[in-house]
Amino acid sequence: MTARQRISAIAQRELLDFVRDWRTILMMVLIPLLLFPLLFIGLPLVIGGEAQELAATDVNVLIRGEDVPSDLLTALENRSVIITTAEPSVDVTVDDDEVRNGTLHAVMLWNTSGEVYEIHLRHLSTSTLSTDARQRVLVSLSEWEVQERERRVADAGLNVTDTLDPVRLDPGSTDLASDGEVQGLVLSSFIPLILTMWVVTSGIQPSIDMTAGERERGSMEALLCAPAKRWELLAGKWAAVSTIVLVGVMLQLGGLMFALTFLAGPSLLSTPDVGLLAILLFVVAVLFFSVMVVASELALAIRSKSVKEAGALLAPTSLAVIVPAVIVQVINLDGVETIWFAVPVVNVLLAMRELLLDRVDPLHTLVWLTTTAMYTGLALWYAQRQFNREDLVLSPS
Amino acid sequence: MTISTHQAPPLVTLRGVTKTFGDVVALDDVTTDLNRHTSTALIGGNGAGKTTLLRILAGVYRPTEGSATFAEGDMTAHRRKIGVMTESTGLHLRLTAWENIRFHARLFGVEDGLARERSEALATQLGLGAALDRRTEGFSRGMRQKTALMRALVHEPELLLLDEPTAGLDITSARAVRGLIESLVDEGRGVMWSTHDLTAAKVCGHVLVMHNGQLVADGSLESVLEAHGAGHLEDLYLTLTNEATPEFKAGMEGDS
Repeated sequence: MTARQRISAIAQRELLDFVRDWRTILMMVLIPLLLFPLLFIGLPLVIGGEAQELAATDVNVLIRGEDVPSDLLTALENRSVIITTAEPSVDVTVDDDEVRNGTLHAVMLWNTSGEVYEIHLRHLSTSTLSTDARQRVLVSLSEWEVQERERRVADAGLNVTDTLDPVRLDPGSTDLASDGEVQGLVLSSFIPLILTMWVVTSGIQPSIDMTAGERERGSMEALLCAPAKRWELLAGKWAAVSTIVLVGVMLQLGGLMFALTFLAGPSLLSTPDVGLLAILLFVVAVLFFSVMVVASELALAIRSKSVKEAGALLAPTSLAVIVPAVIVQVINLDGVETIWFAVPVVNVLLAMRELLLDRVDPLHTLVWLTTTAMYTGLALWYAQRQFNREDLVLSPS
Repeated sequence: MTISTHQAPPLVTLRGVTKTFGDVVALDDVTTDLNRHTSTALIGGNGAGKTTLLRILAGVYRPTEGSATFAEGDMTAHRRKIGVMTESTGLHLRLTAWENIRFHARLFGVEDGLARERSEALATQLGLGAALDRRTEGFSRGMRQKTALMRALVHEPELLLLDEPTAGLDITSARAVRGLIESLVDEGRGVMWSTHDLTAAKVCGHVLVMHNGQLVADGSLESVLEAHGAGHLEDLYLTLTNEATPEFKAGMEGDS
């Protein structure tokens, strides 16, 4: 029997064992497939429903002041604002108390000073209704101000449009980026982050199960008694975890694409303009990153004496990848320094972003390919060292 | 049941085997031979070094000092000639008994068809035939023991290492396992059997008693009893493990 056959046997057994667990199916298949579609269907429904409900709710606003224009009051009433008017008052304590206890949702202090109207609003930002009342007042004021401005310009004998809108921007101004390139930009803003987080998080549980879990269950010892070399064990387990991770990533991306294409409307997603070389390099980047992450996770998990210990070790360690992944998303790619393409994790993520914009910079590519290959090699070497430890089987008795 | 063929070269030779884990001496200068056609009982209390010795024989551990050789080669180079049943059975519980066996058979280079044939025969012999295609998570302790034994035997090893093979088995099952082991010995295999069950150990042709990492008795049951003037194995065991003095051990070494 060859090493390849033994590795294949180990990987097959690990995968069979893994998919037999219904929690795995839930975690690896259903959640990635349903997460984004549910977000795209459920979230707008919830947000829309809440907004509708809020808009239909009356809010109470007290207006303190004299000579408040009647058309402004009408505009407010059209926005379901129940208005109470009162004389100006120096002491606002009573009004504030009523806002705090919900009797009132906002207070507008109005003062007419010649041609100028001075307005002061009081609301409670921690209350949704109070915040919404303030918003309705602001919108009504803004609209009324436009009408007031036009009226004053007209009264002065000027052309309202030319005076108030002297600069005309052509709505059809040309964006040199094609739709596909814009789409690449959109994808580059979240695909690397999602890929990274999913590779890291989805590899943790299987890595622990196949190493510390095996030690805890006692099946590791039986495996070590078989005529398979330690590197073959590592390779078999690595292949199994990588398969799980990559299938999970594909399902998640599939769910995301489905949601964007069919649920978010066709305008949001079109085919990105990414060349074949960029696609190939993107795949290489994902593969290198997965190899590195899975090897590191297996190495750390095999060091642990129990599943609990492995979980406690791997969960915080994953932040070492996720935090840079978040930071990379805000790095400006125009004029980015080449050194960033040598920093572990950051290099692959930046490369993914560039490649989705169809930018294949030879120097950047050389640096991230070389350094990622080196880090991947180091991760595998470290994992191999851990798998060669004699104390993979515990309890010397 | 034991046909000791001491004229033939030993199957396994241990010479001055010492194993340490940091400051802990798990095995201290163990020297003995394991032969074909022989079942060896490895007796000792908890922490005596039995499991460490089995792991060295299985190639999982390497001796810190001394040598462990299979016929003429290193233990690890001959793993495919060794079958191991660990104390914890080490089964994958979400797999069926057959899938567990098939996995190990593949690692040992046994084709699926042949492995299935052997598994069915062993399952019938051990009374596990109907459960071969059931997931092992629903198995009793005894059924798991039997599955682990079948897994250790599927590649027809020359040396079988068993850690507490009858622990947790009912009387009928224990007898079936002992019967199977006897037939393996009759076929010419060597069997080492770690056990607390002195009744079972009595039927072995070769007895090793361990205490605090040292081998304090080594020989046939009759010779060991005679050498220490003990009437029963229980008496011998208690004497050697509780009251063994350096002078006593020195006498033992001289005897063997």
